[in-house]
Amino acid sequence: MIYYFKNVFINSKYTLLGSEKYNPIVTDNVDKLLNDYYIREKTIELAESKYQYYSIQGLLLKNSLVSKDIDLLINGDLQNQILASTLAASKANIPTIGIYSACASFVEGLCIGSMFLNKEKGKIIVTTSSHNLVSEKQFRFPVEYGSIRKKCNTCTATGSVSALLTNEKSNIRIESATIGKVIQTNHKDTNDMGSAMAPSCAEVIYKHLLETKRESDYYDLILTGDLGEFGIKIVLEYLNRKYDMTFNNVIDSGSIFYKEKNIYAGASGPICLPLVLFDYILPLKKYKKILIVATGSLHSSISSNLKIPMPGISHAISLEVSY
Amino acid sequence: MNNQEYDDLVKSIVKNENPLKNILIAFFSGGCVGLLTELIINILLKTFSITLNQAYFYSFAIWVFIGSLLTGLGFFDNLLSICKCGLIVPSTGFANSMTSSAMDTRFEGFIKGIGSSIFKLTGSIILYGIIFGIIFGFVRGVLL
Repeated sequence: MIYYFKNVFINSKYTLLGSEKYNPIVTDNVDKLLNDYYIREKTIELAESKYQYYSIQGLLLKNSLVSKDIDLLINGDLQNQILASTLAASKANIPTIGIYSACASFVEGLCIGSMFLNKEKGKIIVTTSSHNLVSEKQFRFPVEYGSIRKKCNTCTATGSVSALLTNEKSNIRIESATIGKVIQTNHKDTNDMGSAMAPSCAEVIYKHLLETKRESDYYDLILTGDLGEFGIKIVLEYLNRKYDMTFNNVIDSGSIFYKEKNIYAGASGPICLPLVLFDYILPLKKYKKILIVATGSLHSSISSNLKIPMPGISHAISLEVSY
Repeated sequence: MNNQEYDDLVKSIVKNENPLKNILIAFFSGGCVGLLTELIINILLKTFSITLNQAYFYSFAIWVFIGSLLTGLGFFDNLLSICKCGLIVPSTGFANSMTSSAMDTRFEGFIKGIGSSIFKLTGSIILYGIIFGIIFGFVRGVLL
């Protein structure tokens, strides 16, 4: 179902990059660059929650707000039982909704926040974070374990992103949103998450264009989440074969995230799409109508041991940007 | 588009690494490890008054030590991305999986952390090693 929003705007953002490894494309534009996996915390899990806390505090400081001014915090991450978000929220002292849809968490948060703001006035912060070492430990193997990686593997980005949603006019307007369905194919290889997420991404793009009665070239840019270089090709081929649609305006943020070549299939993680959107695409001042489609693979280590096919989810949000 | 058609689409687009190249790299890097082990055994035999069986045992222990040390210092996974399976199959791989599991859980306590998860990856090697050891020992000792 499509949701239209009248006056919901992204007023401000705060981006924090936790690691410069492989030379990310956004390094020059981020608000804070730490380049430290531990930031004086005992474990990597606590470090991730500190990233998130820093980004919330940074956003509040940037806009001269205090935590009392914020009505709601929507946050999510990739850890078990979204631990990093819970710990960050406990320090932030703001009413909280914790969400999880893997790498689609940020856009899911934007959807939920926009629905609140469409009814009532307020200020909402949407936050998400990811940590390379935590995801390695959580979804793959122990951090120092020498596993041989495939070409379709992605490398999780480290950092945290916060965005402030309000009803006050700014240059980024959230125009509409489409909530996607969970789609499960027969794909079981956890190394290749792009192929698990591609069908849901293609379906949500098709559904969004169908319900808004727009053509494929209506948007100046369709920015997908973290499909990787193979995943994006699958999406385009899928749309072509099933719905006979062709696109020339699609960029995948995961595949352009690292400047260094041969870093597997690209980057992944919930911060990948917002980082590229806020710190690479928007500073270019080139695209006015942008459809962001975040993709998430909803598998866990248990589901992959049980050989359950990997479910994928995608959500789309249409942005209207004025420069 | 049904599941079969989708699988075919994925297969036609996703590229995998060339296994032949990896096999060749592993053959040579594994061979180098073997060569070094021979060297270690000969040195041990000449320097200390030990039997050949003891020398085998000590060379094994030396590789486990080297594997664990490199894992702890954070070099092993980089080394492995160059040497491929040539470093997994010898006892260095075994040492790496134990040390890395222990390192991951070192803050979760000695019992519930390190103690319970140090054999997370290598437990199956030990379990099935013992089971097949018993079966083949029985075949060799009783049946043959």
